[in-house]
Amino acid sequence: MEVFVAQVINGLALGSIYVLLVTGFNLLLLVALIIHFSFPQVVVFSMYISWIVLKATGNNMLLGFLAGVGSSVLICVATAPLFQRATRKRRGVDINTTMVISLGIGMIITELLSHEFNEGFPIAFPENVAGRKALVQFGLISISEGQVYALAAGGVAVLAFFLILYRTRMGRAFRAIAEDPQNARLTGIPVLKTGILSYALTGLLGGITALLLSILLGSASAGLGESVALKVLAVSIIAGLGNLKGGLIIGILLGVLEALTQGYLSGSWSNAVVFGVMLIVILIKPKGVFGGRL
Amino acid sequence: MSLAFYYFLSITAIYILMSWALYLPYRVGQLHFMSIANMAICGYFGAYAAKSWGWPFALVLLAAVGIGGAVAFITSLAIGDAPCFTVVIVGFTYIFLIKTVIENWDLLGGTMGFFGIPRVKGLLLITYSIVFGAGFLIHRFDRSALGRAASAFFVDRDLAKSSGVDIKKLGMLLQTFSGILGGLCGVLYGFLMNNLFPEFFTFGMVGTCMTMLFVGGYTTMWGVLVSAPLLWGIPLLFPPEIASWRIIIYGVLLIAVLVIKPEGIITRKLVYNAKKKLFGRTKRTS
Repeated sequence: MEVFVAQVINGLALGSIYVLLVTGFNLLLLVALIIHFSFPQVVVFSMYISWIVLKATGNNMLLGFLAGVGSSVLICVATAPLFQRATRKRRGVDINTTMVISLGIGMIITELLSHEFNEGFPIAFPENVAGRKALVQFGLISISEGQVYALAAGGVAVLAFFLILYRTRMGRAFRAIAEDPQNARLTGIPVLKTGILSYALTGLLGGITALLLSILLGSASAGLGESVALKVLAVSIIAGLGNLKGGLIIGILLGVLEALTQGYLSGSWSNAVVFGVMLIVILIKPKGVFGGRL
Repeated sequence: MSLAFYYFLSITAIYILMSWALYLPYRVGQLHFMSIANMAICGYFGAYAAKSWGWPFALVLLAAVGIGGAVAFITSLAIGDAPCFTVVIVGFTYIFLIKTVIENWDLLGGTMGFFGIPRVKGLLLITYSIVFGAGFLIHRFDRSALGRAASAFFVDRDLAKSSGVDIKKLGMLLQTFSGILGGLCGVLYGFLMNNLFPEFFTFGMVGTCMTMLFVGGYTTMWGVLVSAPLLWGIPLLFPPEIASWRIIIYGVLLIAVLVIKPEGIITRKLVYNAKKKLFGRTKRTS
């Protein structure tokens, strides 16, 4: 029972990270109509940039965080013209093209990380960043600083995001474009500017996620982005593409499932179980459990 | 023939087949990366069957056709008419699942790889025979009513449906053929290299085949015949320090082509005009 409770806590922390990633992914999907498959790779890239700045500044947390967020926002906004050119016609086939462009960006990022950063070796964050210290300990049940930060900051970030989306003028513009871009343009919403804002907001979410992943995992590798990207797109499809609330539920569920299988199965067999479950659900419900918005 | 040239020709042929494995389902707008998982399944199965059970190469190839086709067919029952992103994620999930199973299975060598796959005489000839056979079938498909239905579907899904095109059956057919090609490539690659590593069947492989398809041109089967030898061959001529950036070069090329010339280098119009110049009046088909 202790293992179960401990793993559920782990899973909630991991799930909150997935929720952040899926939320950023869905925002771009709804507003800019792009499938940014490599968004998690951008997040991992930001982790590497944070790590470099932390090393260079003697573990200055603030500068490390700012560098991570800045690089994530910069990459998201800088790649926007590539996607916008491809989605000019806004048709189904063009959505697929954005996914292929994103896969290309992912290829470049992963290869850069495995060639140029830390000689291709995984990076480890310093003790004062990685929240490995246990705050609460009951037998096997241990709640670390990283888990608390990930859960709290993940919850706050998602809440803030939903507030922006449903309580502000900018959020209304996002939702209007998601519903009908032509009508949104007719009502005077600056579609291009709002689109760029959605990239910047996604980048911001990416930067926050990078920080939380650094705290929760304490390390990163070039291949991390690929496996996370797969899970994020799977969560998004299982929830229903573009379904923000569905993404929230499925993201948490996947985190808990992953943590539980890690608790009871040895080595990377747990990954096989998670991928197997994801595959079965997608094959049974290819259009999502909660229904997609596209 | 030098050993380097032999490997260049063989690997180019395998990449042509793999890129065709992606080209076929993309005729109906589906990026079917599951063929790369099929490549791993059939490659490892064939290698084990030949090494441990003494199966002859011909039987291994037949088994690859059967296994690759069966796996793809069963999956296509669920995703035959699924949207592109669902097919993509199913493909990636399969790849990760199969890779994880191989890495954890000592019988297949785990992360260390599977060694001692027997050598086969005349492998290059067999490989190119398969390329010609597959190319002929794809060419016939492109010129058939089914090929035209696939083109109609790619341009306008709803219009194609209303014209009576059975999307699911078409998707299933193309995904199954793609799975068979993937299976054959797995066996050919394993017997060419005499070893297999799970790391080969990952994003790098997906990226390489995808770049060959999109840079060459995804609207005709001829595009990959140009892009595969160029994209595989040219980096081999570079000094090792530049050649090691191959995947980054592929990524940049892929993005550049999609943004600047989305249909790739070899387009249908180009093929049509080339045929017209070579053979005079020609029937416009797919």
